[in-house]
Amino acid sequence: MNTEQVLKQAENLLGTWNKETSHPDPTRLDAVVDTNDLHASVQAVHEAGWGYLTAITGSDLGLVDGRMEILYHFCSGPAVLTLRVRQSRDVQVVVPSIADVIPPASFFERELQEMLGIHVEGLNNSDRLFISDDWPEGVYPMRADFTLEQAAPVSVSHAAPLPEEGVVSGNTFVVPIGPQHPALKEPGHFEFTVDGEIVTAARMRLGYAHRGIEKAAEKRNWNQNLYLFERVCGICSHTHAMAYSMGVEKLAQVEVPLRAQAIRELVAGLERVHSHLLWLGVAAHEAGFDTLFMYSWRDRETVMNLLEQITGNRVNYSANVLGGVKCEIGPEQSRSVKEGLTYLEGRIRHYLDVVTTDVMFLNRTRGIGTISFDEAVRFGLLGPTARASGLVRDVRVEAPYGAYLRYPVSAVTETNGDLEARFVVRLKELLVSCFTMRTIVDNLPEGPLSVRVPRKIPVGETISRMEAPRGELFYYIRSSGGETPARIHVRTPSLCNWVSVLEKAVGRQLADVPMLIAGMDPCFSCNDRMVTVSRSGGSQTWSWEQLRQHGIEYYKR
Amino acid sequence: MNTIPNLWVLSIIPMINILIFPTGLTLILVGMFYEWIDRKLVARLQNRIGPRWFQPFADIVKLFAKEQINPDKANALLFFGLPVLALSGALTAALYVPLMGLAPVHSFPGDLIVTIYLLSLLTMSIGLAGWNTRSRFSLVGATRALTQTFAYEAPFMLAMLGPALAAGSWQINEINTYASGHWMVLTQPICFLVALIGLMGKLELPPFDAPEAETEIVAGALTDYSGRGLAIFNIGKSVELVIGITLIASFYLGGLGGILPFLIKTIALLLVMSVFQSLLTRLRIDQTVGLWWRFGAILALAQILVMIVWKGYFQ
Repeated sequence: MNTEQVLKQAENLLGTWNKETSHPDPTRLDAVVDTNDLHASVQAVHEAGWGYLTAITGSDLGLVDGRMEILYHFCSGPAVLTLRVRQSRDVQVVVPSIADVIPPASFFERELQEMLGIHVEGLNNSDRLFISDDWPEGVYPMRADFTLEQAAPVSVSHAAPLPEEGVVSGNTFVVPIGPQHPALKEPGHFEFTVDGEIVTAARMRLGYAHRGIEKAAEKRNWNQNLYLFERVCGICSHTHAMAYSMGVEKLAQVEVPLRAQAIRELVAGLERVHSHLLWLGVAAHEAGFDTLFMYSWRDRETVMNLLEQITGNRVNYSANVLGGVKCEIGPEQSRSVKEGLTYLEGRIRHYLDVVTTDVMFLNRTRGIGTISFDEAVRFGLLGPTARASGLVRDVRVEAPYGAYLRYPVSAVTETNGDLEARFVVRLKELLVSCFTMRTIVDNLPEGPLSVRVPRKIPVGETISRMEAPRGELFYYIRSSGGETPARIHVRTPSLCNWVSVLEKAVGRQLADVPMLIAGMDPCFSCNDRMVTVSRSGGSQTWSWEQLRQHGIEYYKR
Repeated sequence: MNTIPNLWVLSIIPMINILIFPTGLTLILVGMFYEWIDRKLVARLQNRIGPRWFQPFADIVKLFAKEQINPDKANALLFFGLPVLALSGALTAALYVPLMGLAPVHSFPGDLIVTIYLLSLLTMSIGLAGWNTRSRFSLVGATRALTQTFAYEAPFMLAMLGPALAAGSWQINEINTYASGHWMVLTQPICFLVALIGLMGKLELPPFDAPEAETEIVAGALTDYSGRGLAIFNIGKSVELVIGITLIASFYLGGLGGILPFLIKTIALLLVMSVFQSLLTRLRIDQTVGLWWRFGAILALAQILVMIVWKGYFQ
């Protein structure tokens, strides 16, 4: 079935609920539905097994337009179905919760509640997930009329206080993990209620690394935003920049030269190697296998050096510009890339051997946190976590973009769905990546590195999906024709995978919990993006200018 | 007229023996040195550079200089007393073992049992300390530490029993003398392994570091310890490391007859231990207990039975 037929099928499913249909591009179907019909239409799409819910974007269309829009994006292969709900922003916006049909939607709906103040009916969870506790009640940062003055911190604690010494009753008590904890390299907070060693309940809180990037993007021009989005995540910075720039290029209807596309894929491949080796080390450390941790991080230096040689940077590579790339792969670079890949392939094979044969290590991974295929579908898992359960969720394969059309990759899947399978999937995936990168380096098309992209991007909106090392990365970009974007929404893969930890921790031993958290390769800074206040010292609010000045003064010394 | 030599022989020399050499101060320094060897070996095996030779000493000095924070809910007496108890237990145990290959400072029939009990004092103190500080991480750590004690203590004791049976004595010094003619690692390999791994369990070294698994429960029972208390606990562990490997080396590796054999044999054992530490993944607490009772204890018991039968049959 081709994309057209898939979209036709979706259109048929929606039937009369569909009030207004459009095809923004050949792979997309955009259907406006009534708020009252939303639940039924989501249910119809879901029950027919048409794709999966990938993101919910809320956006405030502004005071002039006077409406708010909530977009429900479903993906099936390359086809994207967007259900669009519009309501007046002058009254309380209310949408029905779809979490009863699609459980992972609750994360997206909580984001709507916190960021836009949209009331999600039926979602009985008003705990804050993203916004900090001292954020004032009733102030929503993504609304068009939000001003910084509204966000003066209040001293109200929204988090339920922990019981005395964490003891709930008898042998049951709460073990907090994070925001500062040796198991977590990034800030997140989990509360595991344990009975002896067995976890009986799990709760989590994100948002400790909010930087308000989505809001900040609305104040910056298209070019500046490239560097902003690169900083959503330190590990997959290239994928973020690539998703953003490919979205913008699509809006501007600019064709990126083939050479630039190939180099983008090459850097993305190197980034995947660097990300997965980093993860391998962290996961081994969580299991208490520090030798593997040290060795894999030593080998990661190889790929970091390659990235540095190609782009000049080790972490935020900044390889992209709108319309192409800015780094060239010369003979010298391609030689060292090939040498590095040969070394890394050998090491990766060795690690694959270690994680599948080391008995002591298998004790901690085999049969632990098993997620069946059906559960993976139900939880809406993405990336390697889903592929370990046999669910092919890989944008590079399902909906190839850019250079992946010319240098295709194959999806690596495992069927066991336990921690071991997640190790195996990630490592095998690296071998596939290494092979593809070698092909790219050998067959690099000639041509320019970039083309010009206009300063003003035509009116329109687009969806840019990309496979980050952790799974599908989703960008929704809307332009109102100006020098700055009207709305950019980012849905990172980690957000979709959390549910695998929370569901699977219950009933397991406390000792397995760090492994479960590591098993999905969480990226906290990816999750946390939105609040736009820069604070220093108590309640003092700094404007961007002040902060910038402070930075300049600080580094003068 | 005889009082002065008597005082010298009866009081001063034992005092020096206990406080300065070979136990006491020297032992603490040796403990730090061995800790450094262990850390350095593990580091090299993990392809790291590892600490400089004085690092353990520097750590202790730094910890002693730091403020010790007494948690509100903790019993102050226990909080300050437990590290001291742990260290003194270990230092007392040192009196009965042939440290540096010298004869034990003190020796009496049955001192093996006393030594084993004294060595357990460290784990007990750590467990109590975790319970006393009332932090959730400490509580989990303490529970795990004590659970682990029940797992390895019996097999470790059985493993010490093997050489004692062979030598026909409960006195460490006599077993040591007997061992210098018999390399019991060859005749009782299983007990040797059980003893070595049991020692790693006692010291909470990887892969038996579940009680202080930093990725789960921060520092386990000692999470709330800082400054002096932590320093004393650390010294206690280093001292126990030396005593433990001295015991095993003297029992299984042909006795300890001088400084040089002592150094060679104990450092060889330390090397084996660091290889284990870097090769193995941390066991969950249920896996530790399972391992010890399913394999450790039963194998050691089988070895002991073989010993008893063999002894009864041939002698």
